[in-house]
Amino acid sequence: MWHRFNRHAREELEWAYDFDPKDPLFGLSRSDLRGPKLSRRTVLRLMAAAGLLSLSDVLVACAPAATPQAGTAPQAAATQAKAGGVLKCGWAGTGEIQTLDPAQISQVLEFQIASNVLGGLTHINPDLTAEGDLATDWDVSEDGLEWTFHLRQGVTFHNGDPFTADDVIFTYNRSKDPNQSIHSRALANIVDVQKIDDYTVKIVLAKPQASLLVKTLERSSGRAMTIVNRRALKEMGPEKYGLMPVGTGPFKVVQHQLGQGVVLERFENYYDPERPKLDKVVITPIPEPEPLAAAIEAGDIQLIGGNPPAAELIDRFVSNPDLVVSQITGPGFQALWINPWRDPYKVTDFNKPIEELKKEKGFMVRLAIAKAIDRDDFIKRALFGRGQPAFGAVNPAMRFYFDTSINETSEQRFDPEEARRLLAEAGYPDGKGFPTLKLMVTPAGKREGEIIVDILKKNLGITVELDIKDFPVLIEHFDSMNFDLLRVGSGGDYDPDDALVDWMETSSKFNGPKRDKEKMPFGFFSDKEVDDLVEQERVEVDLNRRKELVQKANKITSDKVAAAFLFHPMDILVYRKEVYYPDESRIPGLVDLDRVTLD
Amino acid sequence: MTRYIVKRTFYALVVVWAVATLVFFMLRAVPGDPFQAMLADVDPEAAVALRHKLGLDRPTYIQYLLWFGRLFQGDMGNSIYGSNQAVSQIIREAFPRTIALASLAFIASLVLAISAGIISAVKKHSLLDHIFTLAAFLGLSMPDFWMGILLIIVFAVRLHWLPAIGYVPLSKGFWPWFSHLLMPAIAAGTPFSAIIARMTRSAMLEVLKTDYIKVARAKGLQERTVIFVHALKNALIPVVTVMGIAFALLMSGTVIVENVFAIQGLGRVLIQGILNRDYPVVQGAILVVSVIFVFTNLLVDILYTVIDPRIRYE
Repeated sequence: MWHRFNRHAREELEWAYDFDPKDPLFGLSRSDLRGPKLSRRTVLRLMAAAGLLSLSDVLVACAPAATPQAGTAPQAAATQAKAGGVLKCGWAGTGEIQTLDPAQISQVLEFQIASNVLGGLTHINPDLTAEGDLATDWDVSEDGLEWTFHLRQGVTFHNGDPFTADDVIFTYNRSKDPNQSIHSRALANIVDVQKIDDYTVKIVLAKPQASLLVKTLERSSGRAMTIVNRRALKEMGPEKYGLMPVGTGPFKVVQHQLGQGVVLERFENYYDPERPKLDKVVITPIPEPEPLAAAIEAGDIQLIGGNPPAAELIDRFVSNPDLVVSQITGPGFQALWINPWRDPYKVTDFNKPIEELKKEKGFMVRLAIAKAIDRDDFIKRALFGRGQPAFGAVNPAMRFYFDTSINETSEQRFDPEEARRLLAEAGYPDGKGFPTLKLMVTPAGKREGEIIVDILKKNLGITVELDIKDFPVLIEHFDSMNFDLLRVGSGGDYDPDDALVDWMETSSKFNGPKRDKEKMPFGFFSDKEVDDLVEQERVEVDLNRRKELVQKANKITSDKVAAAFLFHPMDILVYRKEVYYPDESRIPGLVDLDRVTLD
Repeated sequence: MTRYIVKRTFYALVVVWAVATLVFFMLRAVPGDPFQAMLADVDPEAAVALRHKLGLDRPTYIQYLLWFGRLFQGDMGNSIYGSNQAVSQIIREAFPRTIALASLAFIASLVLAISAGIISAVKKHSLLDHIFTLAAFLGLSMPDFWMGILLIIVFAVRLHWLPAIGYVPLSKGFWPWFSHLLMPAIAAGTPFSAIIARMTRSAMLEVLKTDYIKVARAKGLQERTVIFVHALKNALIPVVTVMGIAFALLMSGTVIVENVFAIQGLGRVLIQGILNRDYPVVQGAILVVSVIFVFTNLLVDILYTVIDPRIRYE
């Protein structure tokens, strides 16, 4: 479980955070930062300095859990599997792969595929070493502003074009243009990319940037600097290139029909002759959970990529001896939002001390709802046990920042008797006289919604009705604070800022941006102290101090019920036992297939 | 007759135009903004640029005029998502899948239904009639998605006879194509098959009671001739109407069956477009669907005259 730190990992983490923040090289030597490979320590430090260390925690956390949980077949036997073969994959959660052009990719399920087709300057492995992908080595100036990359020679694109410095510059110019790329902001700190010679480029930064190597230049999740091919883009145009991008990756796209799926073939001239092992990969999008399960059970597909498979299927997969289920902590939180501008839980000022708030009828009802939710029961019934109870936006995958005692200290901790007492004191003994509320959910969130309805009925005696809305409509209601209760949450939160800055500040981008500001001075939550704490933590350079600030802010949002927090999700990969998926490819969220073999 | 067809074609075009226009404005009145929904992953600056590039920042009536103008040049616009694929391309890729699935479902249901209907009518209250009646009610009352999942579990997961999901184009060979479509076609065709079988039975029973059938039999015609030439032809009029509706419904995409078998046909394109508020895709798909509907109806009306020469359109 997440709270079982091992000592070595803790020491490693403490070391990662222990540096002088004013040092432009983050307390590392220039030789530490030099390519062709960054050590685990260096990557940890860079991630810590970039506020991305939670990502590394995810990676650390994944290592032991990546051992198969189901399927008695020893994986060791499979390691001897020969190269070659066709791997058939189902991509969950979509009917079509809309784009593979890194400049346009907005979904994880798309860059999972792109990571197999295109290259970048660096790539991070799950053991936390960063490797040069298209860069062989690199060097950094004393002030941390000038990075010189030596590019791998003899690399060719799938169309035969040689890879040179011009391609790096072309990609940079394309990605920083918002007309051509949706990731232009990611390159805001880069002042210039200069060609020194055909195989050397210099990247000049405005400010030292720790995330440069581990995020911006990273080939898969980074996307902004995933190298594209000039000639192919010009010949094919962006639409066609989006279907069949030409890159330098281990696989090339040989077929892509919208809705039909993508066929990848081994790229013979990949720079590493050992990879990829497979001859061919066939990717079929499968939108519905039941057919997805049938397809992997029947052997029509051998691996599930894309969005995590539906929770109700996981137990079925685990009990199937033909399948391997690998589960790791996922970074995110899910919550039940309670509109503070509506009766009977109206709270128009969260700034009062908690003891004072607890005397307000509106707050009593909010707290009663949050306290009445039995997270364990919810997770068991709605998620079939695949999730961890949540009491705040900061998730356990951010291990360093995660408050492991919040489940005991939060005002929201499960206590049905206290919840009923609060409700009675607010004037609704056993839910009598309580108005019928509407809980807004997406069609996919219906089961979760029904279980919340059931739990609230059981523990508080109140009636809640489901109001099912398509996602774009639900988000509009959320943004304009036009709901009673609403279910939405966050994924891909690797840093406390992803949780606190995005969600919990008065000015957060999700905090009622489209509300009527005359009638509602804030969105779903506003607390002066939280705002101050978040403003401090986001610039705090002492990381132990930052952790304190983060945990304090997180605790206040929990105690004052910014939302009734429900659960933190899991990252789950499912494949058939004839597939050998090595631990060194088990990167959360990614499906790198270059080392995968078939028995 | 020619004048009638020209007139009907003109009306059909008016209907298609009205549907397209209605959908265009209704879509924009429906709550939910695609750019708002995608904003979490896209730089706001890029979202503004994209909105501008696709012309979606202009007043609605200008967008409408532009859309209509381009439509006459065969340009249906581009999807808001991904690499902004041309809508015509998306539909061109989805349409063959729908045609293949719909035709197979239609042919299978027709052959089954009409033979069952005739046998039921001719051998009224026989064991066979009861079996067909039972089968028809089963077919009608089983939801298609449930039937689809049942088929997958039996024939793909347990028996490994047929592939569970997906679509393979005919160019990859007949068997791969057919084996992928067989289960979806059965799932999609069964409800229609049941309806058509019941329609055929009752229409046949009606006709078999008439005097001219008695006369036909009295003058010593073979029973086969009586049934197929004299009775069936006259019984077909109401059946053809239902067949027309069935065909149009199948052609416009059998969303649920497409979902179950992971076939990205017209129905799925439309539903996904609606869920994402991908305006250009929805407009394009609805346009195609309404053309299919309106012209299938026209075709059915013309078919009447072929089946029953007494019917004349002036």
